[in-house]
Amino acid sequence: MRKIFLKLLFCLLVLPVSVIAQRQVTGVVKDQNGPISNASVYENGNVKNGVRSDEDGRFKLTLRQGGDSLTVTSVGYVQQGVRVGSSGYVEVIMQPSTNDLNDVIVSGYGTTQRITNTGSISTIKGDVIRSVPTANVQNTLSGRLPGIFTQQRSGQPGKDAADYYIRGVSSLNPAGNQPLIIVDDIEYTYDQLQQINVNEIESISILKDAATTAIYGIKGANGVLVVTTRRGKLGRPQINVRTEAGVQVPTNVPNYLDAYNSALLVNEARQNDGLTPLFTQNDIDLFKTGEDPYGHPDVNWYNAIFKKNSMQANTNVDISGGTEAVKYFASFGAFTQNGSIKDFSSKNGDGLNTNYFFRRFDFRTNLDIQATRNLSMRIDLTGRFGMVNEPNTDNIMGEIYDFTRSTPYGAPFVNPDGSYAYMYNTVSMLPTLNERLALLGYSRVKRNDLNILFGAKENLSDLVKGLSISGQVAYASTWDVGRKLLRGMPPSYHYDAASKTYTLNPNSGYNMPTYALSAFNSISNKQVNLQGFLNYDRTFGNSQVKGLVLFNQTSSSSMASTPSNFRGYGISAGYYYKQKYLLDLKLGYNGSDRFKTEHRFGLFPAVSAGWNLAEEPFFKQAFPFIKLFKFRASYGLVGSDVVGGNQYIYRQVYNRGGSYSFGENNSVASGIQEGALGNESVTWEKKKSQNYALDVNLWDNHVSFTIERFYDNRYDQLVYPGSISAILGIGTAPVNIGIVHNQGWDLQFNFQGKIGELQYGIMPVISLANNKVIYKDEAFQRYPWLFETGHPIGQPFGYTWIGFYKNQADIDSSARPNVGSIHPGDLKYKDLNGDGTIDESDMSAIGRPNLPSTNIGLTLNAQYKGFNVSVLFQGAFNYSLALKGTGIEPFQSQFQPVHLYRWTPDNPDDALFPRLTTDPASVNSPTAYMSDFWLKNAHYIRLKSVELGYQVPTKWLPLKINNARLYFSAYNLFTWFNIKIYQQDPEVESNSVGDSYLNQRVMNLGLQIGF
Amino acid sequence: MILIVSFVTFTVLSSCSKTWEDEPLERFTDEYVWDVHDSLGQKAGDFLNQIYSYLPQGFTRLDGNYLDAATDDAISSQPGGAVEVMASGGISPFNNPDDNWGKMYTGIRAASLFINNIDKVPLSIKLPDGRSMRPVWKAEARFLRAFFYFELMKRYGGVPLMGDKVLQSDDNVQIPRSSFKRTVDYIVQQCELAIDSLRPDPVDMINLGRATKVAAMALKARTLLYAASPLYNGENIAAGDSLSGYIDKDPERWHNAAVAAGDIINLGVYSLDADFRDVFITAGNSETIFARNAGDYHQMEDDNSPIGYSGTSAYANGRTSPTEELVDAFPMANGLPITDINSGYDSTNPYFQRDPRLYYTVFCNGTDWLGRPVETFNDGLDRPGTDKVQTLTGYYAKKFMGKFETSTSYANEHQTFIYFRYAEVLLNYAEAENEYEGPVGSVYTAIESVRQRAGLNPYKLPADLNKDQMRAIIHNERRIEMAFEEQRYWDIRRWKIADSVMNQPFHGIEIIRSSSGALTYTIVPVFSPRFTAPYQYLYPISYNEVASNEQMKQNPGWK
Repeated sequence: MRKIFLKLLFCLLVLPVSVIAQRQVTGVVKDQNGPISNASVYENGNVKNGVRSDEDGRFKLTLRQGGDSLTVTSVGYVQQGVRVGSSGYVEVIMQPSTNDLNDVIVSGYGTTQRITNTGSISTIKGDVIRSVPTANVQNTLSGRLPGIFTQQRSGQPGKDAADYYIRGVSSLNPAGNQPLIIVDDIEYTYDQLQQINVNEIESISILKDAATTAIYGIKGANGVLVVTTRRGKLGRPQINVRTEAGVQVPTNVPNYLDAYNSALLVNEARQNDGLTPLFTQNDIDLFKTGEDPYGHPDVNWYNAIFKKNSMQANTNVDISGGTEAVKYFASFGAFTQNGSIKDFSSKNGDGLNTNYFFRRFDFRTNLDIQATRNLSMRIDLTGRFGMVNEPNTDNIMGEIYDFTRSTPYGAPFVNPDGSYAYMYNTVSMLPTLNERLALLGYSRVKRNDLNILFGAKENLSDLVKGLSISGQVAYASTWDVGRKLLRGMPPSYHYDAASKTYTLNPNSGYNMPTYALSAFNSISNKQVNLQGFLNYDRTFGNSQVKGLVLFNQTSSSSMASTPSNFRGYGISAGYYYKQKYLLDLKLGYNGSDRFKTEHRFGLFPAVSAGWNLAEEPFFKQAFPFIKLFKFRASYGLVGSDVVGGNQYIYRQVYNRGGSYSFGENNSVASGIQEGALGNESVTWEKKKSQNYALDVNLWDNHVSFTIERFYDNRYDQLVYPGSISAILGIGTAPVNIGIVHNQGWDLQFNFQGKIGELQYGIMPVISLANNKVIYKDEAFQRYPWLFETGHPIGQPFGYTWIGFYKNQADIDSSARPNVGSIHPGDLKYKDLNGDGTIDESDMSAIGRPNLPSTNIGLTLNAQYKGFNVSVLFQGAFNYSLALKGTGIEPFQSQFQPVHLYRWTPDNPDDALFPRLTTDPASVNSPTAYMSDFWLKNAHYIRLKSVELGYQVPTKWLPLKINNARLYFSAYNLFTWFNIKIYQQDPEVESNSVGDSYLNQRVMNLGLQIGF
Repeated sequence: MILIVSFVTFTVLSSCSKTWEDEPLERFTDEYVWDVHDSLGQKAGDFLNQIYSYLPQGFTRLDGNYLDAATDDAISSQPGGAVEVMASGGISPFNNPDDNWGKMYTGIRAASLFINNIDKVPLSIKLPDGRSMRPVWKAEARFLRAFFYFELMKRYGGVPLMGDKVLQSDDNVQIPRSSFKRTVDYIVQQCELAIDSLRPDPVDMINLGRATKVAAMALKARTLLYAASPLYNGENIAAGDSLSGYIDKDPERWHNAAVAAGDIINLGVYSLDADFRDVFITAGNSETIFARNAGDYHQMEDDNSPIGYSGTSAYANGRTSPTEELVDAFPMANGLPITDINSGYDSTNPYFQRDPRLYYTVFCNGTDWLGRPVETFNDGLDRPGTDKVQTLTGYYAKKFMGKFETSTSYANEHQTFIYFRYAEVLLNYAEAENEYEGPVGSVYTAIESVRQRAGLNPYKLPADLNKDQMRAIIHNERRIEMAFEEQRYWDIRRWKIADSVMNQPFHGIEIIRSSSGALTYTIVPVFSPRFTAPYQYLYPISYNEVASNEQMKQNPGWK
């Protein structure tokens, strides 16, 4: 009885307490891609009370201390705190982290962690860039990874991948600055990277200093871009479907003057040159009123040919999961990007698709098999099938720019009787673009990429603890076949409005020519790669020891050429004491058959060390909030075997060439000629690279930053001697004499904050790289300003603009060219050598190279419950853009708004453009006289990508769907550019005419579902 | 398992190393070209063919224009091109559209390499006359090398003579220029060495285009003619500079030139072709001594036909506009210059009864072509006044074109760019002999035979001409006979008349057609050339050559 009483008493006293304190919470942990298994969920402030999420990300936890919040952690994600509402159910959406101390960072042939890393590596996770609506992974990296410089030259579907460099450029060799690209240990070519589907990517790292690239030795001097693909994780199958569709609009639509204004300017230019006007006042009036649309047409050919927008769509399905024995990741992707040309073919032509387009299908299966207790194997298989279509006419945008081929008044869109017109009174008299697009057929390239990788790893821990051996064979091939359906010039007619008669274009017949079909093949590459590793990783007390010995051999061939072979050995050793004192040694020993046997192999050592002050007791006491405060430095040697010229520059050979014709029948007699002299001692370029950095993490990793400073001395560069007289009579081989210095900064800052349940991140990135040519055996120049040495690679040279010639007296008293005649309103240049004549001696370094030396990015993101927003601003500074040719020159380019601001006697002071002239070689032509009037210092900032997403709460989801997310994303959304008046995209190639396919802005809606 | 992996790796590795060759086996090395077993010398023969390919290109080689568009004979229809730069005195050490320096030295090197190595090849082939081929081939290379030096000499004066040496990359390439005299002597000596070994004339049809004995004689004769000319012989632009010319004046040099040309005439192998136009479009005619097969094509027609014919066959781009000065240089068909009051020239009907060569050289208004007369009156089909490139002078260049007066379209022609033809030899002889001996009978004979073939009637010249009158006639005869053959450009230099010829405006003709069809002709200036004497008489050595070779002396006056 007493016992009963005691029990009752106990219940009365304790039960109410425990009812309040012990609260059941259920929930699910996930990220944007779906559930996260194995995440730790524990009661806030009570680390001992925790559980792990299951395969579906679900968990069940009893809160014991009366609190109402949970803490959730998972490797690779920002730690999250969540309040449990009255329902007792929570959905935790985790944010991927970029600066966790223990995050795995992929480096060359292995992995490292932020805390122990001593080399220069920047990493980005595939998740972050997955939703950027572009076909090419390199378009997504700029502004996110410090040290990468990109320029997207064209927006053509299938050919819109950006050029990219790591830490700028430092080789005088034009092809010698492309980074090495390694995808799952297979070397990819520069343009193969653009074929990869971002959905397959787990992470991308760029390796920047000698400590990380020395192991690649002879191929490491330009930095390395390492891509790893996604692999299966333990758990039940998870199926992810992602489908999106978007609309593409040019970032910048050029504006051309109409026929009336163009005709006025044509007449003005002719009058300036003393020529008779081309148009009478009556013509001008008719252009203005538009009363005579066939006799005096006025067509804006851009608007006539291009659509306002075009579509793109992307669908990806992947499945991953695994058991102890087999883990798998399989994906399938389909991408399609349409071109921006209107459909002319289906109405008037043969229904051929002559528009630009790009379609790509790809698949990947990555299998990991645990064959025995110690033996694991991997089998990766991936294939990509791309198709790029182009109309069978020249660059359409280029033609629309080109005044010699189309003018607003040259032809009506179609003649009154429905027949096609041609550009009357132009040199080439081409039928109108709409006719050629309808009737001239297409050129279509089908490209296949196939990669197979087989690898095996034997764990030798039974033998020596921490030791393993592995080997792999990879096969990669790329081939393409093109199909061209083309016909001769279709008939077109000039309609004479006065006599109402039609005249056939003399360049064609009356009959429609038949189509001819042809095939072509431009790529056929094959590569076999073999690798073997001996790996050692063991921790003894406070010491961690890592070691790696590797053998690597690649043989690649293209078409019928003899394969180029590469073979290398590498050793890497690391010793880390208490994660405080860090030391890494790297050694690459490898060779390439581009060089003579005795010059083939080179040794590339690098050493790097780190000191993590945050682990020192005094520091810990003084600054307890600092989690990581690590100085690190590296120094080493890397090389590059990319050299111009034929594959065997070390020996002189004879070539076929120099044929001549003898005999009454003009029969060609074949010739043999001496090839360029060989250089027996030719060898690789070398780069001595220094890197100094500080890695800091503060306040539970909410703040982290990395500052890096690098100095590269690239020497022994293969350049063609500029100081050899042509009386030698033969080309010379390049010699290892060029020297370029390159130095700069990489800065990355990362702040993760939280206000209530709003989590946000601010991540600025700054990359600076400035190079300078120290030596390149330049011929001696007669004036110091003519030397290219001492300037950056790609330094433009030109005249210095000092105003317009004001009047005849000014012309007579000023320096001027001795060719052609000068008139008031012409561009006046500085006479550097003071000889009264403007000629080549007066050209000096002007402006900057086209590759920006400063690249910045700012990523901002925020997440509130299921909503997230992420934007990236990217900008480039300190570069120049040269305007010339069909981009700007009168009678080569369409007349543009800038031409309205030309110099005239009435507008002598505010002119933005010189006097108009018909003379293509006048002093006003940038082609003949490049100057800083035409070479503009440029900078831009782009709202490069935007993502808005909403994660649908799991409890609302029907069927077996466990994750659903809706998102809007955009690419190149807005651009702020300092020289917009010239209507060029800020990323077009300098000195090109800026008439390539317009870069596109993409706005995209997507849905992602997981099962 | 690990063993299996190792084994697989090993087999793949070892098979790899055996699959591929280590060296570029598909490439030619010394041993292939100078093959010690090849009695046919096939590869060596191909090497010789290649040396020919360095012979200068002719015809419309400068942006679609003839070199002659940089003289008072013509201008480019499109402003701003290479020839306009040249006609405006725009050649500089940095910019010379007609540099040719590197190409000639490439040819010189190839020829020397051939001469040095051909003895390794056990040639057994023979000429039809039984002579072994080896000395023939060697002489061809020697002749070509001399030709290349001549091309350099006329541009630059004395140039570095490389001898038979073929330099390698570690050899000293800092070789100074030889004097003008040594350069001339070397060319002449090399020609003389080659003359007796070369193929006899005329060469058989399948070897048309190969150097012959007379080709070497003609090169020698032209070299001596140039060397005897005022620019080098007595009027050196920098007195005492042995690089830019002779440091003395010696009339014997005219004699040497006359003898060298006379030797060819005396051989009697070549003769003037009865039809002036056939010389340029028929293979193996009696007049052509050495020429380059340009191809069976209608490039001349495409480049230079009056633009109103575009579409008739291919293109008609009218790139070169002959000047009024050239047209006026042609006499009347009666042989009298149009300035002669007895000539019958009518300025209101200027193309009536002129030297037939005018009609073969220039398209004037009314010339028949492809079934209709050319219309170069204002707003005519061939001068429509649109912004299409068209004649600036009222004339188009016609020389070298086929006989398409009544055709409906162009057909391919066997087109040869002639380096040496017999008419030039006659004119060379006449010029040199007139300078040396005065207007003796053989001078008359030579020049009258050219005029006779041209179709002048009477072709005889007045018998009482003095030396200066004869010189004027010879100079004019060279101009009209060899228009567009890259002669006048060099002639106005070696005669040292470029500073007067090239510093006055060139003219064209404006033709207005009234509603009744009557034509009025007005001569108008169209282009102002520029030529700065004396330094522009020689080309500047390109800046890179001066900068890279401490021994290289720039030509006088060039900075």
